[in-house]
Amino acid sequence: MELDFTAIAPYLHMLLTGAKITVQASVLSVLFGAFLGIIVGALRVVPIAPVRSIAAGYIYIIRGTPLLIQLFLIYFGLPSLGLNLPAFIAGIIGLSINSSGYVGEIVRGGIEAVPKGQWEASKVLGLSYLKTMRFIILPQAIRNMLPAIGNEFVTLIKESSLLSTLAITELTMVGQQVRSVTYASFETFIVVGIIYLVLTSVTSLFLRFIERKWNVS
Amino acid sequence: MEISVEGNTSDSSVSHQSAIDVKGLYKSFGRLSVLEDISLSVKEGEVVSVIGPSGSGKSTLARCICRLERIDSGEIYLYGQRTDGQKHSNSDIARLVGMIFQQFNLFPHLSVLDNLTLSPMRILGLSREEAQENAMALLKRVGLEEKQNARPNQLSGGQCQRVAIARALAMSPKIMLFDEPTSALDPELVGEVLEVIAGLVDSGMTMMIITHEMMFAKEVSDRVLFMADGNIVEQGHPKKIFTSPEVPRTQIFLQRLLAHFGKELTEGEKRGECSHGA
Repeated sequence: MELDFTAIAPYLHMLLTGAKITVQASVLSVLFGAFLGIIVGALRVVPIAPVRSIAAGYIYIIRGTPLLIQLFLIYFGLPSLGLNLPAFIAGIIGLSINSSGYVGEIVRGGIEAVPKGQWEASKVLGLSYLKTMRFIILPQAIRNMLPAIGNEFVTLIKESSLLSTLAITELTMVGQQVRSVTYASFETFIVVGIIYLVLTSVTSLFLRFIERKWNVS
Repeated sequence: MEISVEGNTSDSSVSHQSAIDVKGLYKSFGRLSVLEDISLSVKEGEVVSVIGPSGSGKSTLARCICRLERIDSGEIYLYGQRTDGQKHSNSDIARLVGMIFQQFNLFPHLSVLDNLTLSPMRILGLSREEAQENAMALLKRVGLEEKQNARPNQLSGGQCQRVAIARALAMSPKIMLFDEPTSALDPELVGEVLEVIAGLVDSGMTMMIITHEMMFAKEVSDRVLFMADGNIVEQGHPKKIFTSPEVPRTQIFLQRLLAHFGKELTEGEKRGECSHGA
């Protein structure tokens, strides 16, 4: 067989528009997911056992079920409770919640990697648990976590392709549309794949840059 | 080094109020009993050194006093207030007692100056300007004012410990506890830290120093406690403990040390004695 990319050339701008939606969805989900994940991760280590258990249960469920099912529950399931969310919002919420489970586990690891002496020094200097967390532990933990968080962001960009199942016109969805018009399946999805690769590579480079900068200061 | 000389200029100025009172303290970790019925009283302005073999419970005692460890039973009073329960917040305790760790425990993500100003600003409610002014005065006192912008990883161990002492002093505690402050240091860095601690002794601070630096303990202390197996085996004036210990356990411990320190330790004192006796 021969590959003929000229057939999909007229639709390239559509794919790029789809890529823009993918980037928007990923960036928003990363931000909300990280925010939620830091809270979940922090709750995972509080000195109150029931709270720790709830956070652990949340992480257990999120990580133990497919993202696709989580998205379906939010988009198709919640309306039966009277909550109709626009597809894009439902998608962001689903991705954010999913990501928070993984980030939460990364945060827990990052917090536990901070030496015990830091807690002790904070305590004898009069800092409460929350102040110790905010001013002493988290700033150090985030530095420990940065590489793993970076991986999570890259994963999230790739997993955002599942948003196509909610009919969100992100990159994968647009790819399917282009394929159904051009019938050039192989070519279309090769281009789609390359666009994803560019997105994940740029993200990785950017994160590595931040890591390096952070480690110097 | 700037030193305020109140407290030990004359005996009469030393309050005989108890700074630390420990009564019937028991502490165990799991099935390992670490402290067994410890009772101890430290007067305001008094300098008490605690010596003894590893595992004797010295560190645990200090950690119980600053509430880093929960106690099993007994009572701990700081300036008359019972502090072993959960009634006091961390900040209440921090206003009474400062703690120096073997491993310094400086905050590595903060500059030296920020290490010193964090708690005064967040806990004591000082403005940034006030906190920095105090911090600079303290850094000057430990001889490190030029390191204000350095990160802890740019400092030597001795410098780290001096910063840690300044950081503890920034909370203006009434009592300072030292948990083997020089044990993690290279030998050539021990002197600079001991010098800073000696400066604090001269300023009249109430102090409890857990140390293996016997010559230092002998020089600066009003009283020496010898601990072994979770008990205070013997205590008294440093001269008495080091030259004529009464309890066989103390004698054995000091004889073993003698091999390292030579006769200097067990002979008469070199420097003038501290005026306020034990």
